[in-house]
Amino acid sequence: MTAIKVEHLHKTFRIPHQKRTTIFETLTGVFKPPTYETFHALRDINFTVEEGEALGIIGENGSGKSTLLKIIANILRPSLGSVTALKKLTPFLELGVGFQPDLTASENIKIYATIMGMQKREINDKLDDILEFAGLKNFRDTKLKNFSSGMQVRLAFSTAIQTNPEILLMDEVLAVGDMEFQQKCLDVLNEYRKKGITIIFVSHDLGAVRRFCDKVLLLNKGRQVAIGDPTEVIDRYVYSKVETSPSNNNEPESNENKLQDGKDGLTCRQISGKIAEIVDVSFYDKFDHANTNFNSLDPMKVRIFYNSKELVEDPVFGIALYSERGKHLFGTNTYLKNYPINSILGSGYIDLLIEKIPLQTGKFLMTVDLVQSKDYVPLDHKDKQYSFSVIPTGYEEGILGLSCSWLLNSERAI
Amino acid sequence: MIVKHIKEMYDYRNLIWQLAWSEFKLRYKNSILGYFWSLLEPMLMLIVLYVIFSNLMRVQVEHYQLFLLLGIILWGFLSRATTIGMFSIVGRASIVKKIYFPRDIFVVSSCITALLMSIFESLIFIIFMVFFRVPISINLVYVPFILFFLFIISFGLSLALSALNVFYRDVQFIWQVLLQVGYFATPILYTLDVFPKNLQGFILLNPIARIIISARDTIIYSSPAKIEDLLFMFLSSIVFLLVGYIIFSRLEPRFAEEI
Repeated sequence: MTAIKVEHLHKTFRIPHQKRTTIFETLTGVFKPPTYETFHALRDINFTVEEGEALGIIGENGSGKSTLLKIIANILRPSLGSVTALKKLTPFLELGVGFQPDLTASENIKIYATIMGMQKREINDKLDDILEFAGLKNFRDTKLKNFSSGMQVRLAFSTAIQTNPEILLMDEVLAVGDMEFQQKCLDVLNEYRKKGITIIFVSHDLGAVRRFCDKVLLLNKGRQVAIGDPTEVIDRYVYSKVETSPSNNNEPESNENKLQDGKDGLTCRQISGKIAEIVDVSFYDKFDHANTNFNSLDPMKVRIFYNSKELVEDPVFGIALYSERGKHLFGTNTYLKNYPINSILGSGYIDLLIEKIPLQTGKFLMTVDLVQSKDYVPLDHKDKQYSFSVIPTGYEEGILGLSCSWLLNSERAI
Repeated sequence: MIVKHIKEMYDYRNLIWQLAWSEFKLRYKNSILGYFWSLLEPMLMLIVLYVIFSNLMRVQVEHYQLFLLLGIILWGFLSRATTIGMFSIVGRASIVKKIYFPRDIFVVSSCITALLMSIFESLIFIIFMVFFRVPISINLVYVPFILFFLFIISFGLSLALSALNVFYRDVQFIWQVLLQVGYFATPILYTLDVFPKNLQGFILLNPIARIIISARDTIIYSSPAKIEDLLFMFLSSIVFLLVGYIIFSRLEPRFAEEI
């Protein structure tokens, strides 16, 4: 059974150049027609969510995710088209809606729970559980303003999860709070999923979306780009981001680096008439598109473009990988890999093939070197000028992503 | 549609009550002393007005203290309900932007808050009634109707004001001035006879004037309410409610964007 149906949904916002917020301004401005710009936040969105399904909505900032969620929640109204929800909606757009600092914890729970649609008797029954779960049993009659922000979030969260939603709308609630809290949120979501509750979930955490959703909707600048299988749609999102800037997008920074490097005399020589140089470096994803975003553990190809004015015998290409903070993670070159190159002349490229990117998450910088091996003459050195990002696909921790598996070996196997 | 909406509001009765009650508690800072201070204000007002009007201006009205107090309480309800009501949407922007339920719930609950405050003040009035041994009569049966009409008119006004206040923030100042004017254009401190004969018909166009007069007649002077007054109140409460709802429902879809 269909739980939510969205048909030909459009949303435009009018942004007046000069906002009239008083009757006085409206009267005095009666002969000056107001000028405004129209902003198309959503264009022609169509999808359905079946009962018990979890839909993830992904997209860049400003792609209309939250607007869409607010329209489904009936907070904003569509400009065109329609949204039909066949069940009761419970939006978790923010935790602690309607909290009053001057009221006590138990009073706030009552109000918040009522706002979230709980019945009076239910609230009275669960009041102790809620306080217990939030670990605030001794603060029942303390005014909310005396709570730390962490206590407030805990209170709001433990109240919110007591509701019995039929359709749950979640907007980045997971983004707040520490690791433990996020894990709690996920546990609750899993619980809800098991109960067969329909969930619509907006997140930047692609790992969470991939694990959690049956279906993913990808928005780009208010348009519906794709909807369907999570892996496909997320791949499309990660690998189809149009490259707005070349891979060496931190130009000013790298110039600075260059200057600094100039001091140590290594790069001085190359400035005076480079015999051969590295022109550019590109990263290619598994679909063979140039890209700077990669899923963790996906294949990657690093393509180094060079240009050599003279014949260079026995050249050695090398790369070094750094974390964003500059920690040296890895380095290799053609010599170490036993890949001798006789000579290079003119322009061309060399590929470095990485079967699985052994990284989890973050931005990574790459240094590329070209030297002549005979007497180790540096020909070109691009220090940390190229970068790419890795997006996590799971919940493992740390920078490194090792592909591994567990195997229990016990005498008493269960 | 109207029936459906009333049913919806009934489903939300819990929320309406929670919002009204928490607002009421907040107004009195959740303390016993807070309640006391809130009684003190109308008492002081009463004493000042009583001294001025009965001694200096020499108003000759039977039970003038009660006459005055009832007028102040009833007008006070209108003024309070519309003022709290006017801010009921703007003051709850964080809720309006994050969750949906019928937005007139905010307005109803703020009118109920005002009602709670006025009932609380009426305690003084009842004490006065007993103290001055004012006889009561069967004509008290009219009182619930009169108060109901007052509530509906205040609610209609609050609906319109709360919606307009989202779009035009100077509504609040304009309304305060209008309330001030109304205070003196309504027979609160004096009887209707104070006004010139040709103006009295004009004054009676104000349903609040009729409400106050009828309430005094039935509660203090043991006389029945005039049928034409009741009819006028009934019709004007329908008009106020309708106009209020029309303005409110026209503007309501854009609340979350404009607030």
